Amino acid sequence: MASLPHLLLQPEKPHDITIMLCELITNNTHNNNIALYKCYNANKVFYRKTAFSQWGNKVIENEKKGYDWFYKDSETLTEIRLKKKYFYELDIPEFRGRRFSSESIISGNEETIEMIIDFYKGRWSSNDIFAIHGDLALCNFVIDKNNIKLVDWEHFHYSDKKFFGYDIINMLFILIYHESKRTFSLNKRKLDFIKKCYIQLIEGVGNSNKILEKPFQNSKDYLMKYADRFLVNTNIYKKFVLSGCSLSVLEHFDSIVTK
Amino acid sequence: MLAPQHNYTNLSSAVGLGLIGFNEKDIVVDYGCIFFDSFVYASRLCKKVVGVIPSSERRNTLQKRLVEEDVKNCDLVNANYNEQHFNEVFDCVIINCFLEQLLFEIKHDKSNFFDGKIRSKKMDNSLDETGIGFLQTVYKGLRPGGKIYLSYANKLRINILFKLSMLEVMSFVLSYNLRKYLGFVSFIKNIYLLSSYLLSQKGLEKLLKSNGFVDIEKYAVFPDHKYPLKIIPLSKLDECSFEPVQYISREGSLRRISAGVKRRVDRLIFKNFKLFGLSPSFIITARKAS
Repeated sequence: MASLPHLLLQPEKPHDITIMLCELITNNTHNNNIALYKCYNANKVFYRKTAFSQWGNKVIENEKKGYDWFYKDSETLTEIRLKKKYFYELDIPEFRGRRFSSESIISGNEETIEMIIDFYKGRWSSNDIFAIHGDLALCNFVIDKNNIKLVDWEHFHYSDKKFFGYDIINMLFILIYHESKRTFSLNKRKLDFIKKCYIQLIEGVGNSNKILEKPFQNSKDYLMKYADRFLVNTNIYKKFVLSGCSLSVLEHFDSIVTK
Repeated sequence: MLAPQHNYTNLSSAVGLGLIGFNEKDIVVDYGCIFFDSFVYASRLCKKVVGVIPSSERRNTLQKRLVEEDVKNCDLVNANYNEQHFNEVFDCVIINCFLEQLLFEIKHDKSNFFDGKIRSKKMDNSLDETGIGFLQTVYKGLRPGGKIYLSYANKLRINILFKLSMLEVMSFVLSYNLRKYLGFVSFIKNIYLLSSYLLSQKGLEKLLKSNGFVDIEKYAVFPDHKYPLKIIPLSKLDECSFEPVQYISREGSLRRISAGVKRRVDRLIFKNFKLFGLSPSFIITARKAS
C-alpha cells in the first residue's frame, strides 16, 4: 500500500476549471455508448454528445462526418465542434425552430412531411457525393419557416445514388408505425397521403434507382444488407422498426403506393 | 499524459461525471471508490486518480479491474491515512453514495475519512459533527476553485434515518451513565439533524456552504445514481422537459405492466406536479471558493 505523500505530485499552476450546468437528455440509447447533454453556458445553450467507450468515439466521429456532409459550405458547420479527448465530444448548437416528438404521427404534420420530401429531393440531389442519414425521422428535424436543420447523424454513411429515397421511405414507415399505434392499419385518407408522398418522391428519379420500385421491401433489404454501415451496437431489429417488420406488411404498403 | 486507447468497456454508468468536465491536468480523489466505472472513467480523462478505499476486499476487486483495463495513472490508499497529508492538491473530489459513507463513519465510530484528533475533540457524536468533519477533510484536500461531486440515493433517506435512530436508541439504552454520555436532549438533536440533512435538500446545501463551498448545483437523477439515464438540474426546471425514463422491463406481462405504471406515476409526480424532491437519486456539484 503506497502512502499518500508519495502518491501526490507537486501542485502545478492551477489550470482553468469549467463547470457548466448540464442536463442529461439520453444515455446509452440502443447501446450506442454515448450520452447527450444539454449544456447551459452563460447565455448560450448547446448540445454535447460524449462517448463513454471507444465504440462511442467511432460513432461520434462518424456523426461529425454526417454534419460535415450536410452543412458543407454552411456557417453552421463552424459551430459544430469535435473534441478528440480520450472520449470524444461533439458540440452542436441549439437550432431554433419547431421540433417534433419521437412519436410524431402523420395527422397534423402533412405539410411538414411534404416540405421535407421537397427538401430531400433538392438537398440530396445537389451534393456530389451521395449519402444516407440512416435514421431520418421527423424528430430529427428542426424547422424554422423554410430553414430546415437536420440532427442526429450517428448512422450516416456514404452510399450509391441508386439508393436515393431510402431515408424518406424509412421516415414514412416510422410515421406509419406511430400513426397506426404499431398495428400498421391506416384509414384510406392516410394511405392516400402516403401514396401522394411516394409520387412526390419518385418524380424525376431515373430507372437505375434500387429503392423506389418496391420502396418498403427494398429499403428493408438495403438496411439488412448494409447493416454494418449503420454503426448499430445492438440488435438491429430493436433499433429500426423497418428491419423488424414482416414481409407481408411491407408488400401491403408497396402495393398501395405503387399501384 | 492520457492512457493509450484500446477497446475498453462501456463506462456509460459514469455519465454523472460528465457534469464535472474533467481536464487532462486534473488530479482527482475518489472517496470510497464505490462505483468502479466512475473511477476508471476519471482515470481516462484526468492526469491521476487517487482512490481512498476502506475495504481490503473491495480494494482487491478494484485492483483486478484496473489491471484488466490497463489503468496505470492511479493509486489506491486505505482509509486510515492522516488528513494532514492533504496539501490542497486535488482538483476534484468524487464521493459516490455520500450518505452511505456518512453512515459508515458514524456506525463504526472511527475515522475513515478524517483525522481521529479532530473527532476526539468532538465529544458530541452527532451527524452534524460527522458531516462537518467529513466535508472539512474534503475541503482541505481541494485546491481553491476545485470541484466536489456528490451522488446519493434518495431512498436511503428513510433507511438511514431508521438505522441511525436505532443506533441512538441503542446508545441511550446501553449507556451506564446517561447524564455523562448521551443526554436525551442530544438524542433529540441528532434525530432533528438527521431530518435536516437527509430529509431536506436545503440541509445538505447549508452543510456545504458552511464548509466553504460555492456554486452549489443540485440535480435530480433518474432512475438512480448507479446508472443515470436522465439528470435534471434543479435550478433549470423551467427549461427542462421531463419525460420518464424507460424502466428496463424483462419478459413477463406483470413486469411490463409494473414498468408502465411506474412511468405514468413518474409523469404525474415529476412532469405535472414537478415534485423533484421525490427524485430517486441526487447529484450535487460545488466548488471550493477561490
